[in-house]
Amino acid sequence: MSEGHSQSYDRIRSKKTLQEILEVATEFERAARDFYSDLIPRVSKQIRYLVEELAQEEQEHYDLFTALASNPEIESAILKEVDTPMSDRRFSDAIHLPDLGDSPDDQAVLQYAMGREHAAMEQYTALAESAEPGPIKDLFTYLANEETKHKAELEKIYYETIHSGGV
Amino acid sequence: MADISYKDKGSILNPLKNLQFFGRKPVTEPLGPRPASKNYRGFHLNDWDACIGCGTCQKVCDNAAISMVRVPNAIEDPVKGIRPLRPAIDYGRCCWCALCVDVCPTAAISLSREYVHVCTEDQIDSYFMLPDASGMHGKPFAEGWAKTETTDLIDLERQEMPEMAPESRSDNFDEIVAGYDDQQALLEASRCVQCGMCHDACPTHMDAPEYIRAIWEGRAEDAVRWMYQSNPFSHVCGRVCTHRCETACSIGSRGTPIAIRWLKRYAMDKIDHEQVKAIAAEGKVDYLTGKRVAIIGAGPAGLTAAYDLVKKGHQVEVFEGLDKAGGMTRFGIPEYRMPYDKLDQDVDVITSLGVKIHYNCRIGQDRSMDELQNKFDAVVLAIGLQKGRSTRIPGSDHAQVRAAVDLLRMITLGEKFEIPKSAVVIGGGNVAMDIARSMARLQRQEYGEVRMTVTALEPRDQFLADPEEVKEALEEGVVILDSRGPQACTLDEEGRLNGLCTWRVLSIFDENHRFSPSYDDTDEQIHEGEIVIEAIGQMADIGLLGEDLTEALEWNRGRLQVDENGRTSEAWLWSAGDCVNGPDVVHAVADGHRVAASIDAYLGSQESVEAGA
Repeated sequence: MSEGHSQSYDRIRSKKTLQEILEVATEFERAARDFYSDLIPRVSKQIRYLVEELAQEEQEHYDLFTALASNPEIESAILKEVDTPMSDRRFSDAIHLPDLGDSPDDQAVLQYAMGREHAAMEQYTALAESAEPGPIKDLFTYLANEETKHKAELEKIYYETIHSGGV
Repeated sequence: MADISYKDKGSILNPLKNLQFFGRKPVTEPLGPRPASKNYRGFHLNDWDACIGCGTCQKVCDNAAISMVRVPNAIEDPVKGIRPLRPAIDYGRCCWCALCVDVCPTAAISLSREYVHVCTEDQIDSYFMLPDASGMHGKPFAEGWAKTETTDLIDLERQEMPEMAPESRSDNFDEIVAGYDDQQALLEASRCVQCGMCHDACPTHMDAPEYIRAIWEGRAEDAVRWMYQSNPFSHVCGRVCTHRCETACSIGSRGTPIAIRWLKRYAMDKIDHEQVKAIAAEGKVDYLTGKRVAIIGAGPAGLTAAYDLVKKGHQVEVFEGLDKAGGMTRFGIPEYRMPYDKLDQDVDVITSLGVKIHYNCRIGQDRSMDELQNKFDAVVLAIGLQKGRSTRIPGSDHAQVRAAVDLLRMITLGEKFEIPKSAVVIGGGNVAMDIARSMARLQRQEYGEVRMTVTALEPRDQFLADPEEVKEALEEGVVILDSRGPQACTLDEEGRLNGLCTWRVLSIFDENHRFSPSYDDTDEQIHEGEIVIEAIGQMADIGLLGEDLTEALEWNRGRLQVDENGRTSEAWLWSAGDCVNGPDVVHAVADGHRVAASIDAYLGSQESVEAGA
């Protein structure tokens, strides 16, 4: 099987191990952190706070996932398979970074960030629903709540910035 | 000394007569007072939940028996018209006339049927008390004299403002309201109780009670004099002010608030323009300080700052990118609400004092910020929010998707564009209503019919637009659809825009009141439109600052960081108006005063240093 076929097969598998899911999630956060960090010097100082906060947020998520991987309770279940949710593909796709142009404005950054948070929220919610009661379910429930909170925060900023005159 | 008559002495057996009472049943009369009548005017009761601390009771009391006392932990909210004060009564002065009851705007005060209070000399202060709903001694006594329809001294209904009927106004840009005549203005002014809640709520603290009193006394010139003490945009604010004063008006707690904005309009229209200019010039110093101030933007904030500074003797030059002054009050508000000739008069008053305006001069293009910094002692950035935000939904980059602020500007400038036979507006605020109503007028002129649709995220009762604007838009034939979320602009096979697709909005905010719209995608509608107009929000165009200055300045979460006086992190630069505080004309005026005071103090201190050197 060629590499391309192998990747396609991975993406449509109905079950994945917790280890695989966490690896993708960690990559998801790392890619976002690096994306925002690279963006900081390219945006106007006026909106730099926004990109800095997003980079910081993603760093915290990345640290969380790194710590989770070494958590004894999670480690013992790391090879356990869970149902791959419908949102998995969208979530994996969100690792691929968009081209926001040379100097994106606040609206472009916010729309991208909200889309990412939404994909993550859907993914963790679906995983939490399909997981058996226990530490794995608790983990995904916690992550889903975290992403939901972040998305709501971003939506609040979006509304205040875009719909309220920008001041 | 004469002996007492035996008749007066009585019988020698009299003492023995008392013995007869020993056999009778004793009778005890209670020491408490007799019940008072139903309308008795006894000690005061005050419903603290209804009382707004306006002090009208204090003002009406001829005996000066009432003092307003600050109450710890009571609500203080000037915007809603609530002061943390409650009336305290001095019963050494009170004559129980009950005028305080009859005049109370909120009907919070009444009199009880309790009338006895006894104390020793060392408790004499107990005659000065702070009544609440529980009465003088915390004992239940029935209410006595209270406000009724016949005793109420408050006139709850405002004088109706005459305005053009929808059929006569829908195809032209003539001003809709006609204004009060002398009689209407007098009657409306007579409703005011002079509580001053309006003054507290107004961002620029206009002395509305004073000018309303002047109107009531037939002294319109004095009214204008009071206005110009705090607002050089009195024609504008007499027409399109957000009138926070009326929201705070104490009469509004039970009736319709005083029409403060319309009274301002009345007085300004009543006085000859040349006389207004003379009034505005009062207090202008008769010397020049030699200091120069540059102001970028000839809107209400910039020109108010210019007005104050030129009166202090500073040389002021205003740089305006367009060919007329007024900012968004001219280029964002349609003429049927804000007639240009009246705006011109406000501007003329300011320029008559010596303010010089450079029209069609764009900073960043025609002149640089560096130049202004080098040639002037202080610079004010008052550039407003002139750029429209886009939804960025699919299709919104089509050429036929336009920003409402751009179209409103084109209409004001008289620029020709193809009037669409049908159009859809996205937005539920005043800008959305302004562009919908303007386009409806143009459609009626061009095609004889209106095909305008406004789609708003919010349900009707939560629209950001003034209810009057919504009502008038409906009267003029605009279709307004609430709770519709834009999803995409739709195109025909040839790529021409033909409408807007929306879904029904289930909710806009989550349980924590954060923006989090959710939609019912099964309820999809396509609204016909040759163009889609976005009116969702505005932003400042800060491109004129240039990269270096943008980097040098401090920002606070996307906004230019200013101190309480409007000064930025660069010592020579101040900022004021919509670009700092959001869109609101009277707030911009207040901001203009604030930065002018700060700049004047700064220039004064420079002068002292120079003199010292």
